[in-house]
Amino acid sequence: MEIQPLSIIPLVLELTAAILATIYFGKYKESTEKFFLYFLWYTFVVELLGAYLGYVVDVKNFWLYNAFTITSFLFYFYWYHSILESQLFKKLVFVFSAIFLIVAAWSLVYHSWVEYHKYTFITGALSVLVLTLFHFYQLLYSDEVLIVKYKLSFWISTALLLFYMGMIPLFSLSGYIEFRGLSYLVILLILNSILYGCYSIGFIWTKKKYNRF
Amino acid sequence: MDEKEVQSFLIIFSVIALFLALTVIFLFAIFQKRKNKLIQEQQEAENRFQEELIETQIEIKEDTLRNVSWELHDNIGQLLTLAKIQLQNAKGSPEAIEEAIETIGTSLNELRSLSKLINPSALNNLSLVEALQQEVERFNRLKYLEATISYTGASFFIDNKKEIIIFRMLQEFFTNTVKHSKASKLMVAVDYSNKVLQIVAQDNGIGFDTSENSIKKGIGLSNIRNRAKLIGADVKITSIPNEGTKFSLTYIN
Repeated sequence: MEIQPLSIIPLVLELTAAILATIYFGKYKESTEKFFLYFLWYTFVVELLGAYLGYVVDVKNFWLYNAFTITSFLFYFYWYHSILESQLFKKLVFVFSAIFLIVAAWSLVYHSWVEYHKYTFITGALSVLVLTLFHFYQLLYSDEVLIVKYKLSFWISTALLLFYMGMIPLFSLSGYIEFRGLSYLVILLILNSILYGCYSIGFIWTKKKYNRF
Repeated sequence: MDEKEVQSFLIIFSVIALFLALTVIFLFAIFQKRKNKLIQEQQEAENRFQEELIETQIEIKEDTLRNVSWELHDNIGQLLTLAKIQLQNAKGSPEAIEEAIETIGTSLNELRSLSKLINPSALNNLSLVEALQQEVERFNRLKYLEATISYTGASFFIDNKKEIIIFRMLQEFFTNTVKHSKASKLMVAVDYSNKVLQIVAQDNGIGFDTSENSIKKGIGLSNIRNRAKLIGADVKITSIPNEGTKFSLTYIN
């Protein structure tokens, strides 16, 4: 497998977001968003390891990405469970987590470990999309709507919404249309830029007093 | 890239771009709409507060004028009438002249304190506690009833506009006590502690039946309640017939 220079860019984006998260940690360390600091570094390390395995050692690295998909969605579910206030929403987070875990387990058992577990990803992505909408609903009906751009959680939800909004059609359509290689990578790159761009804006813009929970 | 791949790239790219654009526009639109609505509501609440504040200030001024009129008539007027009678009887008895001089002196003192009391610049600079103190002193001076006021705790800053509204609520209560309750005693206790202001005013008058909804009392009470709600204070008015009425206000800063 030849080294694709474009595939370095997501790594750079992740590193930038993680560094910004570290620099501005003081602004959000008292909120549940603090876990995103560890999560971003975790993401960076996984991607780095994936790239190393894939391009340098040249072994199949899908098991790593599958593990990352499962842990990252579980992390998002945990985070939404802690920031959503409505009891109904909290219960739905459990429902989504259960469905996701069933799909993930089913994929682990019945699908080869040397391919990417598409259904796990799609289930997780759809659940996160719904959770971001719940979060927006919660923000809309509180006074926080006035200061929303200073809230880190708003930017995280925006990032996740836009990223998975793009990832779902990309994943679903690429199965039906002959679509691999460079063009796939370009779209992935754009979506990654949006995701980490929103995170970065969030870390820079957020104000300490608005990140209480 | 061959032609087929370019084609599929364009299709997928456009679909995703459309999705994202719609999402961003939709999000922006609903957040903006909701934000404007909230700002408008806050503006309206602020306007209501200002209107109520102006009305309160007018009421306080009207009450002050009424009090001045009473005081001129009942207090200073009486003293001057007394002085006149003393001077009329003074023909031949110099002691009566001395008495008249004393009476006129007293009325001058009363006049001075009255003029000090209604000086607008003095009124505006009064703190809540000082204003209540003046009210109590006035009741005692005019011998309407025996009033006492006590303070505990260290006072903290409360927005002047809110103080005016708090004062007016108490003034309304005092006016009712003096006019209707036939009370002989009025006790006011002001307590500042830990960002909580608590004021309890109690008279020993005839009281009223709190369940009775006579129109006049209804308006007075609902007026007090509305104002309490406006500044976020908690007000309780309890009354026992023939034992007295108690007004207690709790305001958390």
